[in-house]
Amino acid sequence: MVTQILAGFVGALTFSYIYRVPASQRMYAGAVGSLGWTISLSARQGGGELLGVFLAAIAVAVCSEVLARRRQQPVLVFLIPGVIPLVPGGKAYLTMLSFLQQDYVDAVGLLVSTILMAGAVAAGIIITSSTFRVYSRTKYLRR
Amino acid sequence: MKGMEQLVGLVLLAGELLLTCGAEVYRVEETMERMGQAAGFVQVEGFATPTGLFISLHAPNGRVYTRVRRIRQSYNNLATIAEVNALSRAFSAKRISVDEVRRELQRLQEQGAPESLRRQLIGGGGAMAFTIMYGGTWFDALLAGVTGAIVLMVTSFLHRQSVPKFLQAALGAAVAAGLVLGISQLLTTHPNLITLGAVMVLAPGVAMTTAIRDLLSGELLSGLSRSAEALAVSVAIASGVALVLSLGGR
Repeated sequence: MVTQILAGFVGALTFSYIYRVPASQRMYAGAVGSLGWTISLSARQGGGELLGVFLAAIAVAVCSEVLARRRQQPVLVFLIPGVIPLVPGGKAYLTMLSFLQQDYVDAVGLLVSTILMAGAVAAGIIITSSTFRVYSRTKYLRR
Repeated sequence: MKGMEQLVGLVLLAGELLLTCGAEVYRVEETMERMGQAAGFVQVEGFATPTGLFISLHAPNGRVYTRVRRIRQSYNNLATIAEVNALSRAFSAKRISVDEVRRELQRLQEQGAPESLRRQLIGGGGAMAFTIMYGGTWFDALLAGVTGAIVLMVTSFLHRQSVPKFLQAALGAAVAAGLVLGISQLLTTHPNLITLGAVMVLAPGVAMTTAIRDLLSGELLSGLSRSAEALAVSVAIASGVALVLSLGGR
């Protein structure tokens, strides 16, 4: 488990180099990614993969929004590296392999599962970011 | 009159930089409006899509400056988005002058997407992490790291040759699959986990995330076109791997 938490951290940290995140924010981006991956792994054992990535996406989006406000950065700086570990890359790869082996029944099942997982991540981000947007807009109007 | 023209150019440059680096459309429009108002225009209307932007600036004397800027290339550079964002806020709070903003924006534009061996090697570490996360051994991870770094070098070379983004992804994935196919002839490994880790460095992370954020802020046009971009890049990666695997007879 410790290895997995570290892998999530390293994954998000190194992807922040690939996407050229500002140098001073990379450690935070790594921490957000590690948190998301840990949540999705722990929830997977309890309530299934979809619930896992959905909860993880919510946690990642909340952390990104809070960090963005605290550290006065665009949300994308933390959100993009943070969600990278949640991207269903493994499922997508298996889908591709099944299509290649002309195992269409498995392939379509995996494809649907990949789409659902990507949708769960998107839903988590949408719900969180819209909530934050309502909050910041009312604050803006009051000023 | 000359001064106004220069201010229009400044606002346009800020918007162009943000779009080129993959910022959300609402941020592009908001930044242009914020900077335009700080520069003394009474009304600012911006409209941005991932491939171009339009802006109308109404000067106090009644003249309207309208500009169109076509965006033809794009790359991932979140640091530039953060810097333009900070600059526009400092400018509208009157903390820095027009000349300083112009100098900084021009510097960011010339800098583009800085490429270094360090970025590619560290990016290879991302491939390592993914192989571990999907259950590979340390040896698999090491091979994935090397392959991932090579994939990043290949795609940055292709980017310099202005190869289209989708072809970059397909060729990068094909190189990864080819290398892993070669390695797995010599050593006993988990070739699928290694390839998976290595092609993850090509994942369209910025397009996916901005697509979601654009959609939720009601920017349907750019939300849908960025989703299409993310999907097309993913399909390109899958076809690059699939091509090599089927040629390799697996």
